[in-house]
Amino acid sequence: MIFELMTALTVGALMFGTGLYGALSQTNLVMIIMGVELILAAALVNLVAFWRYLHPDEPAAQMFVLIVMLVMAVEMTVGFGIAIARFRSRGSVEMEEARELKG
Amino acid sequence: MSFLALTLLSPLLAGLAILAFRRASEALALAGAGLGLIGALGLLVSVSGGATVEAVLPGLPDMPLRLVAMPLTAVLAVVVATVAGFVMVYATGYMAKDPEKKRFFGTLLLFVTAMQGLVLSGDWITLLAAWEMIGFASYLLIGFWHGRAGVASAATRAFLYTRSADLGLYLGAFLLIGVAGTSEISRTLATSGTPALIAGLLLLVAAMGKSAQVPLQDWLQRAMAGPTPVSALLHSATLVAAGAILLIRVAPMLPGGALLVIGIVGGVTAVVTGLIALAERDLKRLLAASTSSQYGLMLVAVGAGAPVAALLHLIAHAAIKSSLFLGAGVFQHDRDGTAMDAVAGAGRARPGIFAGFALAALALAGIPPLAGFFSKDAIIAASLASPSAIWLLPLALVGTVLTGAYMGRALRVLWQGDPGTKSGTIPLMAAGMAALVALAVVLGAAFGPLERLLGAEMAEAGLLVPALGLGAALSGLALGWLVPVAGLLRRLLPWAERGFVVAGGMDALMVRPALAIAAGCERLEQWLYNAALSVGRATLSLGQSADRADSDGIDAAIFGLVRRTIALGSQARRLQSGFIHRELAITTIGIAVIIVALFAAPYLV
Repeated sequence: MIFELMTALTVGALMFGTGLYGALSQTNLVMIIMGVELILAAALVNLVAFWRYLHPDEPAAQMFVLIVMLVMAVEMTVGFGIAIARFRSRGSVEMEEARELKG
Repeated sequence: MSFLALTLLSPLLAGLAILAFRRASEALALAGAGLGLIGALGLLVSVSGGATVEAVLPGLPDMPLRLVAMPLTAVLAVVVATVAGFVMVYATGYMAKDPEKKRFFGTLLLFVTAMQGLVLSGDWITLLAAWEMIGFASYLLIGFWHGRAGVASAATRAFLYTRSADLGLYLGAFLLIGVAGTSEISRTLATSGTPALIAGLLLLVAAMGKSAQVPLQDWLQRAMAGPTPVSALLHSATLVAAGAILLIRVAPMLPGGALLVIGIVGGVTAVVTGLIALAERDLKRLLAASTSSQYGLMLVAVGAGAPVAALLHLIAHAAIKSSLFLGAGVFQHDRDGTAMDAVAGAGRARPGIFAGFALAALALAGIPPLAGFFSKDAIIAASLASPSAIWLLPLALVGTVLTGAYMGRALRVLWQGDPGTKSGTIPLMAAGMAALVALAVVLGAAFGPLERLLGAEMAEAGLLVPALGLGAALSGLALGWLVPVAGLLRRLLPWAERGFVVAGGMDALMVRPALAIAAGCERLEQWLYNAALSVGRATLSLGQSADRADSDGIDAAIFGLVRRTIALGSQARRLQSGFIHRELAITTIGIAVIIVALFAAPYLV
């Protein structure tokens, strides 16, 4: 059982590392959002793994999963909204050219 | 009622019309004065049976304005209207060439209106109002030639003298109204006892101011600065008469103490101003001093309890003094001045005018059968019969002698000396004067009916009184004609010339204390001013230091904080570069730091 948990956590850590690298290294907004999604997905994997292997009788953990998924959906909506608006007005989603977005 | 309106309104409307339309001033003035005279005569006729004509006009609450014509007031109204009418005739000649004559006639008519209002007033409120109007109109008239040197100050002086004495009238009138509960003059006269004494003395003060009694006589001589018709009117029937008229009207109320004071004030005035007149070096000023002196004799009559005698003398004096002034005005017209040196001999150049002047002078001195003889007799008889005869009779007799003396002196000056030239014919001036002189001559005959009309027959006093009066008058005239002033007055002369230092006495009694009080007040004010100023300065410096503490301390601290915060903010700004990956990296590092701290915390504690 602990082996399966460790395997799941390792997969989560790999996904987190990949997502973090993607969010930090990419300059395209879509890629950055994808990186962030990967980070959140890693969190989901961890949550599910902890629930499944440590506290399978606790339904509250499933609520955490649902909330994180909601956050992912919202984050994606806002992020891609900005990306589409940028693309329509400037023809590019390169974040190196979007300093004015800091307000 | 209609005659009342005619008497009062015709001069008023004529005066206002002159001032408003500024044309035909002579015709309007004569019409106004003439209609006023007709109204006054109508009043006299309608009250001759002893009736009273009264008009009650709405005024203050419970104190309606009343105009009353009874025999006394009607007679006075006729006197005022008559003198005003003839003076107006004279003035049309006298002022013919003056560019400002419209103002002159307008003001003169307002003056006459005010005097008629005073004479006919039936309540104290109307009387006070008329009294003030007289003062104001006389101020305007005396100051008519306000461009000339000294005229404005003479007018101001007249106004202030009479005005300050008017306080007595206010206090007296309000005292009477308060005690009697009504403002109607005839009903307030029922007051008796102490209030009557106090009110009588207060009214005496007012009368002393208006009638130029010692020690308030100085303004009258200076009032000569006005045009001669004004002097004639002021001195005979109007301004100066107001004081005597006031006392004559309230005479029934006055208790013995007040009467004695009035009599003595009048007697002293008669003597003192008689001496001043004797020493005077200016014809008009001599006549002015003589006016004070004659009003002093009237006050003696009031004090002797014979207001009718005072009234008779007032009437006779009105005719006489106005003719004298008109005569003096003619001489002034000829010689451009009224100093004794200037008019010396002027009488010989105009024998007709001189004859009129001389007749009036003799009438004033009291030579029978001229008007002054009868009125002066009445005064001497009254003072002989009064309980205080021991005071009043000598004063009245000396006053009479002095009257003769200064008139004799004036006549001699006018007659002797170089006849010189005269400046053209003066029909209007001569006509006005002739009518008044005629009155001065024949008025004596009217005194009997007048006394009956007023219901106060003079007691027959045998031969003693006429003999005394005639003797005093003749000796006075002889002294004045024959003996030079210096010989007559000897050591008194310099005193008399300086107005007996009465002016100086006034100076010491009133002016200097007033100045001292003023100086004290000024010092006090300066002190208060300085105190207030130093308080202000202290407060100001306190405020300045507070301001400095505010700007140097609090403001500096606050602004320093603000500057630091701004600097900190601009430092912190740099973190927000706008490069998303950089900011993400910073976020990541931050989270890593927090995680490390959380893991390390249990070991550090």
